[in-house]
Amino acid sequence: MKCERCGSRTATVRYAEVVDGLLTTWHLCEECASERGVTGSLTSLAGPLVNILMGLLEGGGEVESPDAAPTCPRCGLTYEGFRQAGRLGCATCYEAFASQLRPLLRRIHGSAEHAGGAPSAVEGDHFRRREISRLKGELTRAVRAENYERAAQLRDAIRSGECELGSTETGDVDVRDNDK
Amino acid sequence: MWTFETMISETAGWLDASGPESDVVLSTRVRLARNLSDETFPCCSSDEEAEHARESVLSAVSKCNYLTNALVLRMEDVDPVTRRVLVERHLISAAFAEDGAGRAVIAGERELVSGMINEEDHLRLQCIRSGLAPIEAWRLVERIDSELERNLHYAFCSDWGYLTACPTNVGTGIRVSVLAHLAGLSRTGRIAQVLKSISKLGLSVRGFYGEGSAAQGGFFQISNQTTLGQSEEDIANTVERVARQLVNLEHEARSELKRTDEHHLEDEVWRARGVLANARMITSTEVMEKASSLRLGVALEIIDAPDLAVLNRLLVVTQPGHLSRTRGKAPSARERDIARADLVRRNLAGLN
Repeated sequence: MKCERCGSRTATVRYAEVVDGLLTTWHLCEECASERGVTGSLTSLAGPLVNILMGLLEGGGEVESPDAAPTCPRCGLTYEGFRQAGRLGCATCYEAFASQLRPLLRRIHGSAEHAGGAPSAVEGDHFRRREISRLKGELTRAVRAENYERAAQLRDAIRSGECELGSTETGDVDVRDNDK
Repeated sequence: MWTFETMISETAGWLDASGPESDVVLSTRVRLARNLSDETFPCCSSDEEAEHARESVLSAVSKCNYLTNALVLRMEDVDPVTRRVLVERHLISAAFAEDGAGRAVIAGERELVSGMINEEDHLRLQCIRSGLAPIEAWRLVERIDSELERNLHYAFCSDWGYLTACPTNVGTGIRVSVLAHLAGLSRTGRIAQVLKSISKLGLSVRGFYGEGSAAQGGFFQISNQTTLGQSEEDIANTVERVARQLVNLEHEARSELKRTDEHHLEDEVWRARGVLANARMITSTEVMEKASSLRLGVALEIIDAPDLAVLNRLLVVTQPGHLSRTRGKAPSARERDIARADLVRRNLAGLN
């Protein structure tokens, strides 16, 4: 049975409380139980959020990349350190751990793509980048469908978008690497 | 002049019961999590780095039109009782009240806008409004955020939006939460079912004082759980939509109570009034419970006084920190219960 509070994890704790004379019974998971202050549960680590995160981290084998114990070049945080604390150390950690974070973010949020606002200083670039990423997706599909005329148009649109961005990347658009 | 003393002597704007659906929804809070791109996040920074980040944020705050008069408290100058007062006023989190380098709190007039510097993120900016008003609260906090951002270089990337210390906040960094008084649903026994369906919609439910606090007196906070993949406005709209349904369900439950069990309900409300207006010693839990019954009675027009604003205010000013503050030295629990009963009677004076 699923936890009646978060609706996602398996309920392992049965918890009854009397509220205003009414008996209410809850089936909760460990995390939600400890968040509600129900004692007697097995996990009492650094805090409920860490537990939730650890659950997510350990939930899927895809997170681990076999060769890597990545370290953030700026703040020195290791991925293992992040796993333990549940907190990243600086903005650069997001680049350093990008391949581990992407599946994690997808599991937490159901998405790994920002759809909200941006600081005005980068707003134009942000929306241009988002458009380029959309065009790249379309290009991949066009190539797969062998619609080369459309693919050529898309390639030109992507190039001109990247020029506007002042991108330092040069050379052909790589159609193999944009399937996101 | 907006000082700490004026702030404490006045009622926070979000408690004044002037907003939409105030009979059920006490307040709506929208907070944004922001970090500086060139600074180490607070969890990993040295004391010097934390102080540097704080001064950068405070300098931007001083240039922000909306916050020119804001109160700024550097936490190292704040004594433990005052810290507790700030927690009780929802200006800081319980974790923030503990020691940490480079921490500061900002509070704008009537506490509608406030911020924590160097909590989990460099800046947690929030707007709290009375009643159900997610979009209005979001617009105000967005305006202030864009002003601040002219003088701050936020950590942001195109794919993942605003970068936060905890990956659960990344993207918009927004949390929209609604504090609702679900006394009717609690009494008709439908609350568990309702809360279950809310969590199925991807929202989370917590108590009056947020993370980890138990729901006393039928007060619940409903908020979004995810921050990435949707726009801020979509998130605010989702919370608003769910909260509106919750308000309707609560109204139905209240009418049902009145229809099917009026004597019992009237008895509960009048007894609560009797206790609050006459008790000589009272705990904060009992105030919360009795104020909850009285609130229900006022909303259902079983009694016509006190105002909802008075009851809302009582929920905050009867907390231990507020009571300790007015008494110079730290009172014992027993002394607090006496002082609390006094305070409640004074607030409800004229009822008998």
